[in-house]
Amino acid sequence: MTGSTTSDRPDSGGGLSTRRLLAVLFREEWRMHTQLFGGWRFALFPVVIAVLAVGATVALLETGTAQGTIVGGLHALAVAFGLYSGTAGFAGSDMLENVFGRLSLLLSSSTTLPLSRRWLLGVFLLKDALFYGVAFVLPMALSSAALTGFSAATPVAVGLFWLSLCLVFAVGMATTVGLIAIRTRGVPPWTIGLAVGLSVVGIWATGSLGAVQSVLVPVRGSAIAAGGLAVSTIVVAMVSLVAYNPTYGRPSRTATDRFARLSGALPFENAPLVTKSLLDLARSSGGVWKPFVSASILLALVAALVGVVDSITGIVPAPGIFFGGVLGLSAFTTYNWLTQFDSLEAYLAYPVSIADVFRAKRIAFVLVGAPTVAVPYLAAVIWFNATLLDAVVGAILLAGYALYYYGLTVYIAGFDPNEFLFDAVRFATFTVGVAVALVPTLVAGFVVVPPSVELAAALGVGGVVMGVIGIVLSSRAGPRWDAKYRTE
Amino acid sequence: MGAIRVDGLRKSYGAVEAVAGMNFTVERGELYGFLGPNGAGKTTTIRTLTGQVQPDAGTVRVLETDPATEPLETRRKVGILPEQGSPPSFLTPREYLEFVGEVRDLSADRVADQTVAWAERLGFESKLETLHTDLSRGQQQKVMITQAFIHEPDVVFIDEPLANLDPLVQEQVKRFLISYAAGDNAVFVSTHNIDVAEEICTRVGIVADGQLVTERSLDNGADEGEGSLLELFLERVEAEETRDTPTLEHLGS
Repeated sequence: MTGSTTSDRPDSGGGLSTRRLLAVLFREEWRMHTQLFGGWRFALFPVVIAVLAVGATVALLETGTAQGTIVGGLHALAVAFGLYSGTAGFAGSDMLENVFGRLSLLLSSSTTLPLSRRWLLGVFLLKDALFYGVAFVLPMALSSAALTGFSAATPVAVGLFWLSLCLVFAVGMATTVGLIAIRTRGVPPWTIGLAVGLSVVGIWATGSLGAVQSVLVPVRGSAIAAGGLAVSTIVVAMVSLVAYNPTYGRPSRTATDRFARLSGALPFENAPLVTKSLLDLARSSGGVWKPFVSASILLALVAALVGVVDSITGIVPAPGIFFGGVLGLSAFTTYNWLTQFDSLEAYLAYPVSIADVFRAKRIAFVLVGAPTVAVPYLAAVIWFNATLLDAVVGAILLAGYALYYYGLTVYIAGFDPNEFLFDAVRFATFTVGVAVALVPTLVAGFVVVPPSVELAAALGVGGVVMGVIGIVLSSRAGPRWDAKYRTE
Repeated sequence: MGAIRVDGLRKSYGAVEAVAGMNFTVERGELYGFLGPNGAGKTTTIRTLTGQVQPDAGTVRVLETDPATEPLETRRKVGILPEQGSPPSFLTPREYLEFVGEVRDLSADRVADQTVAWAERLGFESKLETLHTDLSRGQQQKVMITQAFIHEPDVVFIDEPLANLDPLVQEQVKRFLISYAAGDNAVFVSTHNIDVAEEICTRVGIVADGQLVTERSLDNGADEGEGSLLELFLERVEAEETRDTPTLEHLGS
């Protein structure tokens, strides 16, 4: 930037104080969620989080999982949630204005009112951190009570655990905002991706993973280390905000005509709809690698967890069954990427039925999802030395469960998988649906190693059945959402 | 038989009655203006006429099809320019129009010819390879106008046809709409712009609180003693006591 206008100065909020803006943003956030999901369904969401967190903690303790593993897992979840929440930083630029701009009148008001966009974004992110810190991270922290048991010190323990989770949640947010700020300075995404990838490999290669893990679990470390992390996070957040270029506009992109050739090559009735989905995915930020990166992150988290469990208890699950069951969950993120920039209403201008649109999405999901999970799965079964039988059963589970999770997501959430994350009823339904398939599979994967032929056969049949259920659910999603859109 | 026929149409969203007994007919050769204040029921009516929304009551016929029971058949025959434009898409205009052509079963050659013709007419030839999401709103509107006419439908539904267009292109679009309707087609235009309606429409219907409150033919201009279309609009809408519309007194003061 060569110069900044009055409204670009970080302290420029016109006559509006930061505290007042925070209050208004909180009100808007609350109304947005209650409007989208209904007041009580959103208000119940923290309760669902608390029940899930405490329930999972108790279940893991009962099955012999070490406390350290559970604490580490909760902190990993908080970091991941923070990384995700930080993407709200996109809203300050025009990159995702179509997603956030429609939802937040205040956030887009810097274009019409004498308010600094950078200041507005900073306060917006602070609001997000506080809002999610209370509504989502606090319920997670209640699992501390299940870890330590109830006593007079429980409130203090929960409070400290909450602060620890909040801190790493903020670390996640600051990291994402920092990366976005770098992006607004014109650094190409591939350079940022390469730097992040090299950093991760570097940490792993130099054996620094343990050190990073200990830093990111402040409640287990010293107060000085936690304070250092807090100060570093604040510095990164402030520097990011200063570095963030509010006037950044991505240059127009062009593309050669690929639609007709791709559509002609696809042997499906709904080829044009499938082609549109694939090109939208391939050309949006991150390209076709987005689903693969999501699945790889899932693989890395689960593999790390297996390593920790092994080091503490000496138990290693059957890799095929374990990873086959868990990696199927990437169906949710893959479908999310496929619908990220799509709107069901828009298709109603064409002579296509909503059922056709859902069928096309299912084909696109299979085309994208199959290689997305196949590579991480193969890597896992090779790395953990799966037996042939275990690997084959795991592959069947992976395919069947991925279709099932996909069908479940589409049936419950339609074209907006992201939105149901904050709807207590839908989220609880999805969680129960996932648990029904996943929990027995994981138990079997841990108990019978390597799997017997009988168990393998039973699990294989189970995988096929779940896959069929998934296909039925996704087939019924079309008529279900068609009725909703046309009558409500 | 009218190209569009609506009898006793009703549609509610929960407690809100968006369309409360709508009746009108549009013939071929007409450019029909659908005027009304915000929230009068215009968009809901268009969505019902194009099979996007199921009516609660009433009969609707568009080119002898029933949008309520055969929405795909209706949408196959008509062109639609939706109110909210297009979602952010990563196709280029050329690819997007190929997509629309395939969905509408048009030959590739015809789509290619129409794409070039429309790009020249509306001035987006240089943007044919730019990602749709990176186009300005005006350029996106031009592409959306093209998709509504690419199959040369007998009936076209348009919500705010001139939104975001520069004055030169506005003139071209207005002239095109007049000539298109004159070619034995029906063009149904929903707009807030009374001047534009008065300039291009052959007939207008004024909507308030989900009902058609009056119609006026504009073929031969206003009769002696009749006020302007704006006066008629304010008078009829005010008579319906529409809450969100300023009164004549407010405007006068």
